[in-house]
Amino acid sequence: MEATQAEQKYNFEVVRWFSIMAVVYLVVGTLVGVLVASQLAWPVLNFDMAELSFGRLRPLHTNAVIFAFGGCVLMATAFYSVQRTCGVRLWSDKMAWFTFWGWNVIIVLAVITLPLGLTQGKEYAELEWPIDLLIAVVWLSYSFNFAMTIAKRKTSHIYVSNWFFLGMMVMITYLHVVNSLAIPVELFKSYSVFSGVQDAMIQWWWGHNAVGFYLTAGFLGIMYYFVPKQAGRPVFSYRLSVIHFWALMFGYVWLGAHHLQYTALPDWTGSLGAAVSLAMIIPSWGGAINGMMTLSGAWDKLRTDYILRFLIMSLAFYAMSTFEGPVMSAKTVNALSHYTDWTVGHVHSGALGWVAMVGAGALYHMVEKLWNTRMYSAALVNLHFWMATIGTVIYITAMWVSGIMQGLMWRDYDEFGTLTYTFAESVAAMHPYYAMRAIGGLIFWAGGVVMLYNVVMTVRQAVGQRSSSAAAATA
Amino acid sequence: MSEQNNPYGAPTTGHLWDDNLAELTNQPPKWWMIGLHASWILVLLYGIVYPMWPWFGGATQGLMGWTQIGEYKQDMAAIQSVRAQYEDKLPGMSASAILADSELSEYVVRSAKVLFGDNCAACHGGGGQGNPGYPNLVDDDWLYGGDIDAIVATVTNGRMGMMPAKAGVAMTEAEIDQLAAAVAKGEPTSSPLFMEKACFACHGMDGKGMHALGAPNLTDAIWRFGDGSVESVKYTITHGVNDPADPQTRNAVMPKFGDRLNETDIKKLAVYVSKLGAN
Repeated sequence: MEATQAEQKYNFEVVRWFSIMAVVYLVVGTLVGVLVASQLAWPVLNFDMAELSFGRLRPLHTNAVIFAFGGCVLMATAFYSVQRTCGVRLWSDKMAWFTFWGWNVIIVLAVITLPLGLTQGKEYAELEWPIDLLIAVVWLSYSFNFAMTIAKRKTSHIYVSNWFFLGMMVMITYLHVVNSLAIPVELFKSYSVFSGVQDAMIQWWWGHNAVGFYLTAGFLGIMYYFVPKQAGRPVFSYRLSVIHFWALMFGYVWLGAHHLQYTALPDWTGSLGAAVSLAMIIPSWGGAINGMMTLSGAWDKLRTDYILRFLIMSLAFYAMSTFEGPVMSAKTVNALSHYTDWTVGHVHSGALGWVAMVGAGALYHMVEKLWNTRMYSAALVNLHFWMATIGTVIYITAMWVSGIMQGLMWRDYDEFGTLTYTFAESVAAMHPYYAMRAIGGLIFWAGGVVMLYNVVMTVRQAVGQRSSSAAAATA
Repeated sequence: MSEQNNPYGAPTTGHLWDDNLAELTNQPPKWWMIGLHASWILVLLYGIVYPMWPWFGGATQGLMGWTQIGEYKQDMAAIQSVRAQYEDKLPGMSASAILADSELSEYVVRSAKVLFGDNCAACHGGGGQGNPGYPNLVDDDWLYGGDIDAIVATVTNGRMGMMPAKAGVAMTEAEIDQLAAAVAKGEPTSSPLFMEKACFACHGMDGKGMHALGAPNLTDAIWRFGDGSVESVKYTITHGVNDPADPQTRNAVMPKFGDRLNETDIKKLAVYVSKLGAN
C-alpha cells in the first residue's frame, strides 16, 4: 500500500529508466575498456582500422563510463533521493524526461563522433562544440529541476545528500562552460579560446574537478542517502558532514595544477596545486568515516546484506584513492609517477572501486524500491560484489607495478651517466601487466553482466507479479 | 530511526527525512579535527618553503629558492659531469678512432643503446636482429659494407637501393621460374639468364654482390627479402626493389638521419652497430 502511495506521489518512472540505462552503460562502457586494455597488450586487436584503434576508442571508453554510466547513476539517484528527502514530486516531469532523452542523445552522438575522430582533443571533454552546447542545456535542465524540487520541499531542512548534489551541479556547469569555450570553424571542428599553458591549466582545472565534483561530490551525495538507508542507521555526525562538505567545495577547485608539475606551468601554480591536494586527504576521509561510522553497531549486516557490502567497500576504495592521489600530486612523487600507468591505476581505484561500486550499491537499492520487490537473486549480487572487488584489485595492482616500474626504468642511469633502458624496453616490460590489467577489467566487466542479468530478471519478475495480482484483483 | 538503532547514544539533530533518515549530533573524531587544522597549516608552511603566492609582477619565491627548472638543471649537471670525461673527447675523434679506443667505445656502446632503441630498433629490432623486410645488423653480411666509415655514411645519408622489375627487360614466366630456382639454390651463375639479363652488372660476375651499389650476395643463405623460397625470389625478380614503375615493388628505404641526429650521435651509433656485427 505504501509502495502504491509512493508511486503516485513521486515520479519513479524517469528514475527507473535512468537506472536501467545506467546498468546497460556500465556493461557497454567497461566492455570498451576491456577492448582498449587488450589493444595495449595485443596490438593486433586494433584490426588496422582507424575507427577501432586505441586512440579513437579510448575517449569512447572514458565518455561511456564517466558520462553515460556515471551520468545516468547521478541522474537516477539525485531524482530519486531528492523526491524522497523533500517529500515532494519532481518540480517538472516534462523537464525530467527532457533530461533523460537529452542525455541519451548526447551519448549516442558521442558513440558516433568519437570513433570518427571528431574531437576537441581535451581529455574528458572530447566532444565537439555542438554536443557541448547540448550537454550544457541538458545539464542545466537536470540542475534546475533538482533545485526547484528542493525549493518546494515539505521538509524544513535540506538533507545532506542534496547539498552534495547541488554543489556538483553548480560547479560542473561552471567548469564545463568555461573549459568548452571555443571558436567553431565547422559543424564538428572548433578551436579552444585558450592557448598554450593557459589552455593546459583550464583543461586540468576542468579535468581534475570532473573527478572532484562529478565523481566525488555527486557520488558522496549518493553515499549520504543510500548508506544510512540501506544500513537503517542515522548518519554518524551532522557536524562532520558540514565541515567536510565545505572543505571539499573550497579545496577541490585548486587541485588541477597538480596535473602539470614540471611543465611550462609557473612554479607557484604547481606548488599551490600540490599543497592543497595534500590538504584534501582529511576532508575526503571525512566523508569516508562518516559513512563507515554510520554502520557502527550494524557491521554484522555486512554478512547478509550484499548491497551494503558494495556501499561499504566503495568507501574503503574511496579512502584509499583519496590518500593516493594527494601523495602522487607532491612534486617528488609526481616526478616518478607522472605519465606512467600508476596514474591509470589511481584513476581506476577511484572509478572502479569507488564510483562504480557505490553506484552499483545505490542501483540495487533503488531497483528493489522502484519495483517494490527483492532482487531476483541475492547470490548473484554477492557474486557481482566479489567479481567487482577482485577485478578492481587485479587491475590496480597490475598498474601499480607497471607504473612504478616504468617510472624507475625511464629515470635509471648506469655508471657512465647514460640511460640504462630504451623506451621500447620499458614497453616490452609492461606487457605482462597489460595482460593482467585486461584480465582484471574483464572480471569487472563480467560482474557488470551479472548485474544486468539480475536486474532484468528482477524487473521481469516484478512486472509479472504485478500483472498477475492485477488479474487476480479483477477476476 | 529508533534509539536502539543508534549505538552512539547521541541525540539526533531533530530533523527527519524520508521516514527514517536522521543525523546524530556526534562531534567529528578528534584526530580528524586535528588533521583538518594540520592540513591548512601545512598549506601555509608549504607556501613559505616553496614558491606559491601570486603577487604583482610574479609570485613569492619560497625560502629554499626552489624552481623546477633549477631542479632540472641541477640533475642534468650531475649526469653531465659523469659523462663529460668521455663526451668531451668524442667531437674531435673519427668513428674509427673511437672504435679503436676500448674505454671510449665501451662508453659509446652504453650511451648509444638508447639512441639505437629510439631511432633504429623500430625497423632493425631491439637487438639489431632485423625484422621481415629490414636487414639484420648482427651478422657479418653487409649490403653497403661493414667498415665503420660506410656505416657512418649509411646512417647520415640513408640508403635506397634499386633493382628494376624483371631486370628492366621483358622476362617470360618460364625465364623467371628458371632464374629464381637457381638463385634460391644459392647458385645464381648456374643459370645462363644471370648473364643474359645482366644480373651480374650489380650482383657481380660471381653473384656475390657489390657493396658500392648495395647489391646483396646471392650465394649465401642470408636473404634481404622473404625466406629465400623460390616464391619470394620470384616476387623480387618480378617486381624489383624500389622500382617506381611497379606499384607492387619491394620497398627498401633506410632514412637519412643526418638531419635528425648530430655528428657525435651518428658516430656513437656507427660504433654501436659496428660492434653488433662480427667486426
